[in-house]
Amino acid sequence: MNRWNVRVEPRGTVSPLLAVLVPLGSVLLALFLGGVFLFLTDQHPGEVYVRMLDVSFGSARGISETLVASTPLVFTGVAAAIAFKLLVWNIGGEGQLYMGAIFAAGAGIAFGGAPPAIALTLVLGAGALGGALFAGVAAVPRVTLGTNEIITTLMLNFVALQLMNYLVFGSFSPWRDPAATNFPQGRPLPDNASLPEIWRRVDLGLVIAVLIALAFWWVIRSTRWGYEIRVTGDSPGTARYAGIGVTRKVLAVFLLSGAAAGLAGAALVAGPVGALEPRSLALNLGFTGIIVAALARLSPLGVIPVAVLLGALNKAGPALQTIRVPSSTVLMLQGLILSLAISGTFLLRHRIIVERKPQTVEEVPA
Amino acid sequence: MNDSVLLLTLVAAIASGTPLVFAAVGEILTERAGILNLGVEGMMLVGAVSGFWATLETGNLTLGLIAAVVSGALVSLVHAVPAISLRVNQIVAGLALAIFGRGLSTFIGRTGSPPLVGQPPRSSFEPILDGGLADIPVIGPLVFGHDPLVYLSWVVVAVSSWYLFRTRPGLELRATGEDPAAADAAGVKVTRIRYIHTMIGGALAGLGGAYFSLALVPSWQDDITAGAGWIAIGLVIFASWRPWRAMFAAYLFGGVTRLNFTLQAYEVEVPSQILAMLPFLLTIVVLILITSGRRARFLGAPAALGNPYSREER
Amino acid sequence: MAGLYRPDAGLVLLDGEEMHFRSPADSLAAGIGMVYQHFKLVSNLTVAENIVLGHPGTPFRLSRRRARALTVDLAERYGLPVDPDARIWQLSVGEQQRVEILKLLHRDVRILILDEPTAVLTPQEADALFATVRVMTGEGRAVVFVSHKLDEVMEISDRITVLRDGRNAGSLPVGEADPAGLARMMVGREFSFPERAGALTTGEVVLAVEGVGVRGDRDLEAVSGVSFSVREGEIVGVAGVSGNGQRELAEAIAGVRRIVAGRVEIGGIDATRLSPRRRIAAGLGFVPEDRLGMGLAPGLGIVDNLALRGYRSPPMARGPVLDHDEMERHADDLVERFDVRGVRGRLPVRLLSGGNLQKALLAREIEHRPRALIAAAPTRGLDVGATTAVRSHLLAQRESGAGVLLISEDLEELLALSDRILVIHAGEIVGEVPGEGADPDEIGLMMAGVRR
Repeated sequence: MNRWNVRVEPRGTVSPLLAVLVPLGSVLLALFLGGVFLFLTDQHPGEVYVRMLDVSFGSARGISETLVASTPLVFTGVAAAIAFKLLVWNIGGEGQLYMGAIFAAGAGIAFGGAPPAIALTLVLGAGALGGALFAGVAAVPRVTLGTNEIITTLMLNFVALQLMNYLVFGSFSPWRDPAATNFPQGRPLPDNASLPEIWRRVDLGLVIAVLIALAFWWVIRSTRWGYEIRVTGDSPGTARYAGIGVTRKVLAVFLLSGAAAGLAGAALVAGPVGALEPRSLALNLGFTGIIVAALARLSPLGVIPVAVLLGALNKAGPALQTIRVPSSTVLMLQGLILSLAISGTFLLRHRIIVERKPQTVEEVPA
Repeated sequence: MNDSVLLLTLVAAIASGTPLVFAAVGEILTERAGILNLGVEGMMLVGAVSGFWATLETGNLTLGLIAAVVSGALVSLVHAVPAISLRVNQIVAGLALAIFGRGLSTFIGRTGSPPLVGQPPRSSFEPILDGGLADIPVIGPLVFGHDPLVYLSWVVVAVSSWYLFRTRPGLELRATGEDPAAADAAGVKVTRIRYIHTMIGGALAGLGGAYFSLALVPSWQDDITAGAGWIAIGLVIFASWRPWRAMFAAYLFGGVTRLNFTLQAYEVEVPSQILAMLPFLLTIVVLILITSGRRARFLGAPAALGNPYSREER
Repeated sequence: MAGLYRPDAGLVLLDGEEMHFRSPADSLAAGIGMVYQHFKLVSNLTVAENIVLGHPGTPFRLSRRRARALTVDLAERYGLPVDPDARIWQLSVGEQQRVEILKLLHRDVRILILDEPTAVLTPQEADALFATVRVMTGEGRAVVFVSHKLDEVMEISDRITVLRDGRNAGSLPVGEADPAGLARMMVGREFSFPERAGALTTGEVVLAVEGVGVRGDRDLEAVSGVSFSVREGEIVGVAGVSGNGQRELAEAIAGVRRIVAGRVEIGGIDATRLSPRRRIAAGLGFVPEDRLGMGLAPGLGIVDNLALRGYRSPPMARGPVLDHDEMERHADDLVERFDVRGVRGRLPVRLLSGGNLQKALLAREIEHRPRALIAAAPTRGLDVGATTAVRSHLLAQRESGAGVLLISEDLEELLALSDRILVIHAGEIVGEVPGEGADPDEIGLMMAGVRR
């Protein structure tokens, strides 16, 4: 009697082709499934996707706006990627972004009188500092007490959100625009503290983001410190025997991750948003950064193209409303992409073998 | 006396806390199986929109509840399959569900014809006792003045607590979350238990979401749950994975969100945003306290929480 | 047999019927239960809860009283006293084992498999266990008693089967067995004679261990009062069955595990409180038993792994930056000199065969010319070619003046390579014999704990 046997085996090699195909496949499959939802609600998937492509890449304006939307995602993607590489589950990128924005805006308002180079440096530095400090609130209990950082960073997201709302909507703080009497809004940053634009609305922020991604990629690949990170993330036992200080690495990476997310906030505040404006900052960029990192398989270099892809997706959302398709389609697609991308890692770790059941029976020695 | 601010606040706290009760108890059951599901917010929203839509179409509230429960359970599979069978990282899988659920619920809300957003509800849950018992001083409004879902939540808490600690399947559940290898060796069906309880978590989250759209608000808006799902995750820890504690903690957290109005009545000005922060800060403080010191054992999480289990992979 | 793994070939027959266990639940239902070496008890639950867990007869409504009564009743019947309300983590290891056995008795298993049950027991507890086994067999149950301790096996068994290298090496009734014969079956008969050059003049002491005590993973004393020294130009072998403290001893010398008593000297320096890195600097090399968990980073490539000792200084590092070309050159050189095969670019090293992994590990440790080299189970799981290569490297180290501590379960290997052999049993050194002309039977007996 023939029977088929389906076996799942751990996979040895992952060819580079597969490593790109699986994330790509997830995106395509997500688009397909999203298309099914669209179809079921009497929208036309083809029309929707073509429109999205057109909006994001179909014109110089479209491309520039896509790049603007991608800039914060490069920062938050890198933040998630470096943390997760070391198995530090920093899901507080959202909150660290807000903190960075708060610090950056504060610095910009306070030091806006200084020459542009100095003001900008202070603004960005403050953003990184804010993000790092806020990450520290979760990092310190993690390294000293072993407190699980998943919940702490998650909860802190909402703390930061409320703080940001408070500063602009709940009080007459320096972050609030004194000139806006009807309607509370964030105080615009002085010109000296704003990132110069380099092409349409794309500003220096993108350049800095790409440089930071490249810098992390290079550090991890080519420095002693980066090497130690790779060893620790792969096998803490081996790292310990080799004399690598695991605790110190965890703390450092956690804080750096926070700093990168903080820079996302700073680049927004000193760039396209121009002020501490909660409604324009609370866009789930931190969580989207996690999606970017997952799709890029935690490579800081891979984060760059993936961020552009997701930035395009984000950007296309509101534009869909003109053809009477809800912008939440994008949110759904993001969730699907992440879910499929993470499920795809199963294929990368295992091989599925279908074979005929063997018929041999060995004789047992009595 | 039944009009006192304090009493009104307490009654409102119970109402605001009820969705948290459902969601937290659901997540407790899921985590007791060893599965960390961060997608609670997504499941609640899907339940909320489904319940609202079903009630709108049929005029029947019970059908609405059923729709919420079933849709919550189904959407939980977006987390369950990757986490349990594919053994992927549960944190990322849960976040994916949260994002997807938000997107799906908003999408459904806008693509119905007519769209659900802004529709007045066709029917909603009202307090069932008007006058009579509900007029008893103090106890009246507190115990008798609620809508049916609140009473349902009390039943859910009692049943789940009994289930967890006094029944055989509950014992198997606890064993699965503590040490799946040991449970497996004793003949417990680990995978099945994990699936079932993740789906129950989804069903209860859906029910909690439906409370917003069918009782609390009631109507449908984007993101109607306003972060309740995330609070519920923190709540589970605050309550040390015990249903009764989760209920009281839910009322505490629910009360905090209503504190605004109370304080205004006493002419104390505390900004609403600061109050909104409190549940989250509380959870962090408790978590830090739990992890330090030797009490960790008593207050601690199911030992295998978040770890995938596979019999032959060591 | 217990349903935890599925056989890749062959059959399991119960009462003549073919059995296919897909899970422990299946084997339990068929009446086969196992007490594992690493207990499968849920730590946070109580004794009674663990006992009734998973049993088909447990009622839907749990009654604490009933479970408690049941536990006490079983405990009395079999002479295994336990507190039903205690949580598992509160119990001693011996008590936990009793719970494991009670669990199976509650399921009324017909066949009990005990895997190294006395490894964690005091002699008195072991006696109590034997009494329990006799009660169980008296009731008509069958017990499979897996152990490497010959005296126990002789005492408790009716029939003895010896496994060696995964094969059945012989089965005989206890009346026909004697310790020496069993020991011979355990270690095998063929010996190829040593390639070791004659005794070298040994030099200074490079590694000294005095009165060392080390705690194991379960907080039991794994090593106690161990003292010995290794000199330049000699290989000191440590013979013993796996699980008698060798791993803990090696880890303690390497600095990965804390020493609770005694001292360690490396190259004449007191290294007892030094970190692993400092010990390496003092001249220590360590090829651990756990190749992928402690020696190598399994997901990284060969270049990265081979750089683990030298990456902090030139030429592999220029300041904070790594010189990739130099790292590659270094790896290529080692790969060629040590004949590490199967290496391809950035391939994760966990894909290499055991033999090549070991060669790579050895290459990395030997290359910085340690004065004292610890090699733990260096040829375990390796094919003949790799084994020969590893052994010749160890001999070469000896010839070039290093002192080698060779910890191995392979008696043939120890006899071939060692200048002298220490025997470890239950965390103590129970004897020492010279490597030249040693009697394998005698060593086998010491390894199995038979005291003369």
